[in-house]
Formats: sequence, structure tokens, C-alpha cells
Amino acid sequence: MFASIAAFEFRYHARSPVFWVVSVVFFLLTFGATTSPNIQIGGGGNVHANSPSAIIEITIILSIFFMFVTTAFVANVIVRDDQSGFGPMVRSTRVSKFDYLFGRFVGAFGVCVLAFCFVPVAIWLGSLMPWIDAETLGPNRLRDYLFALLVFAVPNLLLTAALFFAVATATRSMMGSYIGVVVFLVVYLIFSSLTEFNPDWLLIGAYFEAFGGGAYDFLTRYWTASERNNDIPSLGGVLLANRAFCVALALLALAYAYRRFSFAERSASPRQLRKQEKLKAKLARQAPSLVAVLPDSAPRSAWWARFMAQTRLEMRQVFLSPAFFVLILVGLFNSLGSLFLASEIYGTPSYPMTFRVIELLQGTFTIIPFIIAIFYGGELVWRDRDRKMHELVDATSIPNWAFMVPKTIAVAGVLLSALLISVFGAILVQLVQGYTEFEFSKYVLWYVLPLTVEMLTLAILSVFVQALSPSKYIGWGIMLLYFICTITFSALDLNHPLYLYGAGIGVPLSDMNGTDVSGAGAWWVRLYWAAVAVCLAVFAHLLWRRGTGVSFASLFRQAPRRLAGGAGLVLAVGVIGATATGAYVFNNTNVLNEYVTNDEAEENIAEYEKKYLRYESLKQPAYTRFVLTLDVYPETRQFRAEGEADFINDTGAPLDSLHVRFFDPNVIVDSIDVEGGELTTFDEEFKYRIYTLSPPMAPNETRSLRFESRREQNGFRAQGNDTRLVHNGTFLNNAEFAPLLGMDRNGLLGDRTTRRKYDLPAELRVAPLEDASATDNNYVGADWVTADITVRTSADQTPIAPGRRVSDEVVDGRRVARFVSDAPILAFFSVQSARYAVKERNADGVNMAVYYHPQHEFNVETMLDATERSLAYYKANFGPYPFDYARIVEFPGYARFAQAFAGTVPYSEGIGFIADNRDPDEIDYVTYVTAHEFGHQYWAHQLISANQQGGTLLVETLAQYSALVVMKSIYGEEQIRRFLKYELDRYLSGRGSEALEELPLNRVENQGYIHYRKGAVVMYLLQDRLGEARVNAMLADLLERYRFKGPPYPSSTELVDGFKALARTEAERELVVDLLEKITLYDLKAASATVRELDNGQFETTLTVDAAKVYADGEGQETLATLNDEIDVGVFTARPGLGVFEADDVLLFERRRVTDGEQTLVMVTSERPVFAGVDPYNKYIDRNADDNLVRIE
Amino acid sequence: MLQLDNVSHTYANGTQALRDVTLTIPKGMFGLLGPNGAGKSTLMRTIATLQTPTAGSIRFGDIDVLQSPESLRERLGYLPQDFGVYPRISAYDMLDHMAVLKGIASRADRKATVETLLTQVNLWDVRKKAIAGFSGGMRQRFGVAQALIGNPELIIVDEPTAGLDPEERNRFLNLLAEIGENVVIILSTHIVDDVADLCPRMAVLAAGEIRLEGAPRALIEQTRGSIWAKTIRRDELADHRSRFDIISTRLIAGATVINVLSDADPGEGFELAPGGLEDVYFSTLAALRRSEAA
Repeated sequence: MFASIAAFEFRYHARSPVFWVVSVVFFLLTFGATTSPNIQIGGGGNVHANSPSAIIEITIILSIFFMFVTTAFVANVIVRDDQSGFGPMVRSTRVSKFDYLFGRFVGAFGVCVLAFCFVPVAIWLGSLMPWIDAETLGPNRLRDYLFALLVFAVPNLLLTAALFFAVATATRSMMGSYIGVVVFLVVYLIFSSLTEFNPDWLLIGAYFEAFGGGAYDFLTRYWTASERNNDIPSLGGVLLANRAFCVALALLALAYAYRRFSFAERSASPRQLRKQEKLKAKLARQAPSLVAVLPDSAPRSAWWARFMAQTRLEMRQVFLSPAFFVLILVGLFNSLGSLFLASEIYGTPSYPMTFRVIELLQGTFTIIPFIIAIFYGGELVWRDRDRKMHELVDATSIPNWAFMVPKTIAVAGVLLSALLISVFGAILVQLVQGYTEFEFSKYVLWYVLPLTVEMLTLAILSVFVQALSPSKYIGWGIMLLYFICTITFSALDLNHPLYLYGAGIGVPLSDMNGTDVSGAGAWWVRLYWAAVAVCLAVFAHLLWRRGTGVSFASLFRQAPRRLAGGAGLVLAVGVIGATATGAYVFNNTNVLNEYVTNDEAEENIAEYEKKYLRYESLKQPAYTRFVLTLDVYPETRQFRAEGEADFINDTGAPLDSLHVRFFDPNVIVDSIDVEGGELTTFDEEFKYRIYTLSPPMAPNETRSLRFESRREQNGFRAQGNDTRLVHNGTFLNNAEFAPLLGMDRNGLLGDRTTRRKYDLPAELRVAPLEDASATDNNYVGADWVTADITVRTSADQTPIAPGRRVSDEVVDGRRVARFVSDAPILAFFSVQSARYAVKERNADGVNMAVYYHPQHEFNVETMLDATERSLAYYKANFGPYPFDYARIVEFPGYARFAQAFAGTVPYSEGIGFIADNRDPDEIDYVTYVTAHEFGHQYWAHQLISANQQGGTLLVETLAQYSALVVMKSIYGEEQIRRFLKYELDRYLSGRGSEALEELPLNRVENQGYIHYRKGAVVMYLLQDRLGEARVNAMLADLLERYRFKGPPYPSSTELVDGFKALARTEAERELVVDLLEKITLYDLKAASATVRELDNGQFETTLTVDAAKVYADGEGQETLATLNDEIDVGVFTARPGLGVFEADDVLLFERRRVTDGEQTLVMVTSERPVFAGVDPYNKYIDRNADDNLVRIE
Repeated sequence: MLQLDNVSHTYANGTQALRDVTLTIPKGMFGLLGPNGAGKSTLMRTIATLQTPTAGSIRFGDIDVLQSPESLRERLGYLPQDFGVYPRISAYDMLDHMAVLKGIASRADRKATVETLLTQVNLWDVRKKAIAGFSGGMRQRFGVAQALIGNPELIIVDEPTAGLDPEERNRFLNLLAEIGENVVIILSTHIVDDVADLCPRMAVLAAGEIRLEGAPRALIEQTRGSIWAKTIRRDELADHRSRFDIISTRLIAGATVINVLSDADPGEGFELAPGGLEDVYFSTLAALRRSEAA
């Protein structure tokens, strides 16, 4: 009995549309995540798309999502019989309550599992798709899929199924069950955010986070990429306990449901009965209005009424369907999730500015509309047939369009609701995050309006395809194919917006510059596809099938006659519209601009490298002086540069050729003239010129060159629209308009796979540390020059370039400012122009100014404070600041970075300007980044390192160090733990994504996770051990020796030697070597701690420490090393690094000798401590930094 | 007047459902009689513009039905043999919706139409109930109601009395008879009595061909004197079947009555039967069977 009930239930659900919809939804979601870089669910980096960790993470995330689906199935089990009126019949049979209830539950649960199986199938199928880069894939192992499915998916599905089965039993309503889901979700999200960010709770989260995500994250926190790609955690310990907890919870819910469920129908309450009686009486009282002769129909004048009636009917059918409810909830949950979790930097959130929020929404909204359009297109077009209503309605005189248009509107209506609900979700998130500057106009203009047109276009396609397809399933198949095209076309480099129906041009958003980069172009493309859609709609109208056996031949025969009326007119409008807009778009993308595919662009760069990289080591003169006149025309997005530059032969030998090149593809060279040079080789395509110098340039001779160049914006491009020269927020650097002398590697292809594809060596490694010739060039690739830059722009914008501003005035309606640098600056400068608000402050002879978008005032004061504190510290400890100005200049968030030019720091609107710095518990990365960039005013703009291994140690690592000591001076040593912990985590996880080999700091090859992340931790530890003042003195000395110095440039050895000289003991010396010249990992663990009160009222803490040290090679192979070091130990009354942890909380903090293996340390304090730890502030590179502290028993 | 000329239809699977159907259907009730699978529904759907015939032409008055189906639909009331309904919609709302689809735009007209028709088909009391929960008979009555909306000039009812109880059937036939004078009504059925009771003209369709056409009365007249009946035991049936050309057998109070077609008295206890439309119908089908066997 049980089995047959379960089997019946299984078959019943497996045939329901909900089953098919969710199966397809989850299939596509997963398939998209596996095969398209545009869709992300967990994973990323060097972790393979089909690695065990990717499979498990996707499985966990989607199994949480799946609760909307399991609820639909299991609640239906309870609710169905009452709704259909079958309840009494079924329940009066001899079936037992157990069989009835659990037979059905098992059947419904089985269907949930079956539907979920589409997820692993999608990963597997996705991994077989030909367009995926083979480097991002590993072997498919059945073990990984089964582990994810059986250990995570099945128990999780059981949990949500059981839980909401119980809720449905209690509420006996679908709506009640879904309210239960929402409540559960809220509780779950609160629980997981609590456990995720609170290290004390991490283990609790691992045990009790019901879906196993906490346990999995806990176990694999520091897994390297290779471990993530190959290993699965063993099913024991925390994981087993967690899974058992999950199943136990499910069984508990089922037991509750069994107890609660009763066969007896709840009889209507007296109130309901009275209501029913009343209704009946009311109906009986109404008399029909009868007529002897029925009114005639007037079909021709009834078009509006028909259209409205059909639309109402379609909408009603759609909006009341359960699938709609499920889809909307999934969509809302999806967008809310990404909004809540997104845009954190250093764990600090950003203000949910509308432009950021919209970009996030667009990201999460790529798949749901497709699913809705595909599903409802089929459902609506075929509904009359599926319901066998078609003969009835098709024989009425209602015209075809009055079927087609309302169906399209209904599909679009669902899409719009999903769209609006996401806006609602976004506003909710903004509210929750305390942001109340609602910019409804941006939501409408940047999001709702464009997407509405796109949705309508999509809806029309779906209806059109279904109208012509011989069956609903074939129609769905065609639409699915179309969906796959939208992914594969970009993978196949077919990115032109005119290639694929409904394609578009990407529009980057910015508060500063709005949608100006390509917004207009995107609208033209949108209109083009909308016009095509109009044509499709007319065809759908002409060829709309009515009845059962209407042949296409006869429809085609009738088509011309039907075209005669309004349909022809609409088609004409569509055709003319499509032709006109299509021609306009084509003219812009292919005539005014060249359409370059990504492959062609890559091939070009590869060609460039093949032709010219051989000149890389050719000795070339150095620039010494620049005089530039730069004209920015923001309204027309045009730019003109006119310049004169002096260069000196610093090579020590006579030079007979000069290589002058413009690398940026957007620059147009109008003229160039080299003193004493004759143009002998001119490669027009690559703008590479070789001049023969006659007479040859003698050593130390100076000559000059003049050039004129420009940049223009002609209409819009298919892709790669210029984000640098814009209406408001232009940000150009000299490489984008001025000539470079000699060849370098900037801009060459970097990706290994791509390089191999074009027959280039797989990697371009940096010159080795031992290569003395590499010290001829510096890391930035620019010479020390003086500069005189005049920038002209429109009167309402502020022009900015590096240098002392000697004049700033409006001449002939243009604002003209002149910037002069007498102190040497690197021939690497920025030009910016926008409508800025300015906040200035003078301190110690330096004029500090922040140029910002008026809407982004949040952190301007913080930036000024940070600048002031940084400069004060650097002047006192490193040496003089060479400028009398310090500028921070905002630029549109098309890129998210800050960059240091001489005294001038362009700073993206996407980062610090909109950081939400209100919570003192979060990392103040605004100050951190600002201090880092002004650190570069010393480490880069005064001392610049050689372009070889370890080069970035002297630039980026020292800037990190500068920022850290500034942060320490502001926030105190106790709070610095958060930074260090964060940087340490990033370093450890960055190791997992290494593609070449990990190198020690003194040989770092521009590897961010090493020179930024590891660098910060290492430098902090070194200054801690060797003394901040001593380190600063050493750095000041280094700076003194190399300030503004040309070749040979200093190498990392200079700094390493400096640290070695500071070492006072053998232990310190070993530490310097371990940290800078080796890859060293520590494992310091506070295993346990006990305290006892002494007779004198003091407290004696005994801390058991477990310690180890290993050396790793570039591949991550480890060898055990001997640890014998002086390491911090301490006891506290609060957990360091959490909440407001202050100096008062530190009872004892001192260095003790720690060796490898287990050992006990005894500490005596006057107060009773709560926490004890070894290296409590995470100064060491500790593979598990979370076990350094222990709560004292 | 509806005129069909050489209408043929062959389905994609090769089944020839209609062969050279030529019919002239005047105003008034027209009965289309035929056994199951004779092609009645195909013919009905073809006339109702829901199917394109492979060959032939159909005209209704001035309208070329195949060329401009829209014009016919404006004059058409159609009750398909089998139809479903939308979920969650009451009879009243659905009829109202159908009225809009048929082009009754004004709210007042619709109210009059819907309420009059609901009363006529006796669904007024259950007007607020979902049609999805209706019994077969109630659903059929709803179908009739919607076919009558807007005073169509051509009404096609395909097997309308199937599933109706006798009382409902009477009510339904009366309803049709009231309208029947000035419009063309095609009543497709396999129940001979429906045609006999109502239709001044009729045709018999079998195996896709028109086998017989005329006024029932005249047709009955033609067979008069050639139908012979005999009451036999069940075990005699096989013997009689081999010796006589039996056109129909039926049970009356447990005994088997056979009818045979013969111009002369076949003897053996056969008696001249009064002859009805049923005999006409069965003799036509019997003739068809004979010709197929030959």
C-alpha cells in the first residue's frame, strides 16, 4: 500500500508542470554557472568548474534555493485533496494514516530529488561543452557528484521537505507554507551571518548550520586550489555530526506532521457556514435579466473590449498559477542574496548606491527572465489547446492578434513583475542598510525601462516561436537553443549586437557619468531588436494557428490578404523601423568605428609582440622634460594633445636609432617630429616608428621631439566603448596620448592559454633577481622628468594633472589650468576632468584636496584626515614630501582601483568614496587605501625599483607597510589584528590560485597576493620584532640613497640586506631570512588554557601551545623546519580583533620563546583573564589563524 | 445557404477522412447522421474553419470560407464535440468572456446575453460555480449557451446530445428548434431520433462520403414497404444473418428483433415494418457494408 501510494504520488508530481519548470530552471542555472563566466554561483579562481569543491558548493547553495520547490511539492500533498474535493473520498478508504501521509511524502520527496538531479547533470554536461577553456576543467569523477548529491543534497532536500511538510500540515494552506519558508529563511540568514563572521561561533556554525555549508567551509578554509580540485572532505567528525543533525531535524519535523495530521476534515466554522448561506441567499435573490431576442454581435467594433478581456484572462491565469509564485520568490531571494553579500572590500560594505545596486541586479537577473519567457510563452500559447478550449475560442471571430498580443503582454507582465519585485528587493536592502537616498529615476531609466523593452522583445520571440512550432515542447526546445546561443555566441566571440536576436551593448553605470559611455548606443540596439520583434509579432498574427488542422500552406495563402489592413501597416512600421535603426547601428559600429572581435584584438597584440618584443632590451634614451598642452572636450568626447619632450642619451654609448611608439589603439597621431631623426621604419598599423638618428646621439646628449595626437569618440561601438574619455569624469594617462620610447611589456597578452593559442611562449617571466642588466629599467617603466602641463576643458569642469597648479582661469569659455613640476616626477601622469566638488585642507605646507562627485561626500573628511596623518607620519619617519599639494581625485567606477601619480591619486567612485565606514567594527579601508597611495609618494615616486624579480617589494610592499603603520598610529596596535587577519586570509587563499609558482617576497614577480597580502603581514611582524623606529630609519636611509635616482635602479636585495643589518640575534636574522627569502608557514595553536587563583590574589594561566614551522617550495611542497623563536603570548579579558577591543582588555602581552611541538607557558596576572593565546594578533603567517586564541577554562 | 463542393480531406497519416463531399445546406435544421469515425467531426471542424480541407470549396452565402475564415467566424456558433475549460473560472464569467470574444462589447448587451442564455440552458443557479467542477451534462449545456451568443447565422453542433439526460435533451432540442427557422443549423449526431425529431433535411455520412441526402420524411417514404421485421430467439441470429440481409438488430424487452431490407416479402414469419428514419439510416449503412464486402 505504502509503495503504491508513493509511486502514484511520484508519477503525479513528475508529470506536473512545476516539476518540469524547476528542473529546467535549475538545469539552466547550473549549466550557465558552469559554462558562462557571466553567471556565478560560488567557485572561481584556479578552482575547476567541475572540481569537487565547485560541485559541492553549487549543490549546497542550490539545495537551499530548492526549499521553494520542495515546499511546492510537499505542501501540495497536504493541500491538494482539500482543494480538489477528493479529500473525503480518499480518506474514507482503508488506507492507514501512516501510509497515506508518508507514502505521499516519500513520493513527493522522490520527485524533489529527481528534479535536483538536474544540477549535477548540468555540471557534467556543462563540463563537456566545447567552448569552455580546458584549463578551467578537471576530470569528471562520479565520486564527486555522488558525494555532493548524497551527503549534501539529499539530506538538505529531506530537511526542507520535512520542515515545510510539517508547516503545511499545521496550516493546511499553500500560502501558509510559503510564509513558513520566508520566516525560516530569515532565521537561517541571521544564524549564518552570525556564525560566519564571528570566529567564536565558527564551530557552532559548522555543527548546526543545517545545510552543511558551515561545516564544509570550516573544513576546507585553507585548502589550496589543488586540494579543492581533487579532494573531498572525509565524512566524519564535524561533517558527519552536521549531516546527522540535519537528518534528525527532518525526522523531528516528520514526527510532528504525523502527530498533527488528522483525516477528519475540519468542518466549516459557524462563521464560514453563515457566510456561505448568505452568499447562497444573495445569489438566489438575484433575478436574471432576460431578453426575448439576444443582442447581435458587433465584432468589428468590439476590438478593444476583446483585447482587454483576453489580456485580463491571460494575466489572471498567469498570476494565479503556482509556478509564478515560486519563480518570483526564487528571483527575489536571488537578488536579495547577492545584494546583501556583494560589494564588500576588506569585509567593509559599501553604501548601496543605486548605480551599484542596479549593476548587481542586472547580474542576478540574467537567467530568470529567460526561464519565465520560455516557460510562459509555451504555457500561454498552448494553453487553450492543452485545456481543450481551442475549438471553442478559435471558432469565435476574435482576430489573431487579439490572441497573440494579450499572451505576449501576459508573458511580459510576468517578466515585469519579476523586474519590479527585484527593485522592491533592492529598495528593501537599501532601507535595511540605512540608505534612504532613493533614486527612483535611476531605477526607472537605467533598469526598469531598458529591461522592459528587452523583456518585451524576449516575450515576443517566445510567443512567436511557440505560435509557429508544431508542439509546445519543440517550441521550448527552440527557445532553449536560443538561450544557449546567448551564452555561446559570446564564448565564440560573436559579440556584435546585430548578430543575435535581443543582444545588446553593455552599459557601465556611474553616478558621475550616468549611462553616457554607451547608453545611447544600447538604446538604438534595443530599438532595432524591438522593431524586429514587431515584425515577428505581425508574422505570429498572420500565421496564428486556429483549430486543429489548419495547414501552413493555407495560412500563407491567406497571409497577403490579411496583411492588407492594420497588420500590414504595423509590419511596415516594423520593417522600416528595423531597417532604419539597424542601418544606424551598423553605421556606428562598423563604419564610424571599426568592429574588432576579441580574437582579432588578441591576435593583434600577439602580432605586436612577435614583431617588436625583440627590441625590449634595446637601449633607448630617457625622457627628461615634458611640456604638454592637453585639450579635453567633454561634450563631444574629444581630446587633443600637443607636446614637446626632451630626452637624454643615458645609455653610455652613442645611439643611432630611436624607437617611438604609441601603444593605445584609440590614439590618433597627427604629427611627430624627432630632432635630428629621420623616420626610416614606420609601421602604421601598430604606430611603431623607428628613427635613424643622424648624427648619432652622443652619450648624455639631449634632444627633443614634438608630437600632436588626439582621441575621438565617433558614435558608439559594438563593444569596448571608451570609458576613459567621457562626458563627466575623463581620466587619461600619458600612455594613452603621448609617445613611448622603446619597447616594453605593458599590455601584452598575459593569459597562458591565450598566449599558447597564438604560438607565443606560455609565460613572460620577469627578469631574475640576479640579472644585473634588468636594473637599467624601473618597475613603472618611466623616467624621471620635469613637467609643465596645461589642461583645458569646458568651463564647468575642473582639470587636474600632476604638478603645482600655477594658474587656473576661464579663458574664452574654457577652463585652463597649468601644472608645473620642478621636482622630478615619473614620466607617468594622469589627466582628469569632471564637474567636481572640492574640499581642501592645509597642513604643514601642503594643500590637501579631495575632488569628488557632489553626491559622494560620505568619506571625504576621512580621506583628508588619512592624507594628513599619512603625510605627517611619512615626513617624520621617511623623509620630505616632495610636493606642496596632495590630491585625491574621483573617477567613474568603470574600474575599481586607486592609483598614485605624483602628488595626485585618482580614486575610483566604486571603492572608497562609497564605502560605508559608519560601523567602527569594520575595517576603515578608506584610510588604509589613502595611506597606501600616499605611501607610493615615497615608494615609487621617490624610490623606484628595478624591473626584475622582487621589484614590487620596494614599491607595493613598502606602500602596504606605510599604510599599516599609519593605521596602527590611528587605531592602535590592538585593533590592527583585523587588518592582519584579513591580509593573511587573502594571502593563504591567494596561494591556491597561483598559476606559475609561488615565490618568496624578495623574488616576487608582480604577484598581488604576495607583495600586497603577504607583504603586509611580513612587514608588520618585522617592524614588531626589529622596532618600528629602527625599520623606519633603515627605510629612510634607503630612500636617501635612491631618491629620484635613475639607472641602475635598486633591487629587493637592498631592502633585504637592510633588514638583515637590523637583526640583533640569530633568531631575528633567521626570521628575516624566513620571511623575505623563503616561503615559510607557521602553525601556532593555543591548544588549551587553565587558570587558577594564587594565594596572593593573582591569577596564574597555564597555556598549552602547539607550534610548527614549515618551508614550502613554489609548488607548495612542504618540508618541516625547526622553530625556535620569540613569539607574542598574551592573556585578555576580551577576544582581540572582535568588536571594540581596547588596550584595557590586555592583561599581559609579551614575547616568549616558542619551539616546535607541544609546550606549556605560564603567565601571572592581577586580573582573571578570559582569553589566552599565542601570536594573538596574527602577526605570523599562520595556516590556521583562528586557533591562536583559546577561552580559558 | 451553405454550399460544400467536392470537399476532401486526407490526414497526414494517410487517413482519408472526407471524400468529395458535396452538400447544399439550406436554412433550417440540417441533420448530419453517421456512425462513429465516419468523418462527421472532421466535416464539422472544416466548416467551422478549424481545419483546412485538402481539396474542395466551401461557401456560406457570399463568403468563401476557405479564403476568408474570419468572415465566417463572425456569423458562426460552434459547439465542438469535446471541449475543456479554464480552471478557477465560473460559468458566468466564462460565458461573459466568450461573449466578448464573439464581439459583444457593451456591458449591458453582455449581461442580457449571458443571463438569458444561462437561464435558457438552466445553469442560472450554478452560475457562480467553476465550470471545471461541472458534470458532463452541465458542461454540454454551457457549450450550447456559448454557441448561441450573438445570434449566429450558422450554428454547428457536434454531437450535442451525447451525455444529456432525456429531460436535458428535450430542453436542448426545443432550444434549437426555436432558433432553427432563419439560420443554418447543422446538427451532427449518431442518434437517429435527434434528426428524426427536428430536421427537415438530412444527410448520412459514412466512411467520409455522403451516402444519402434528402428530407427525412421523403426518405422514410422511399423505404416504405421494403422493411421487414421479425422477432427471433438469440440463438437464431447467426442462422438468419447468413440467410438474410439484416440491416439492424435490436432488443425489445429481452427479445431480438431483426429488420431486413427486401422489396418482396421474405416469408419465414417476417412482417412488414412501418419503417422509420432509423431503418433508412441502417439500410444505407448496410448497403455500404455490402459494397465494401464485394
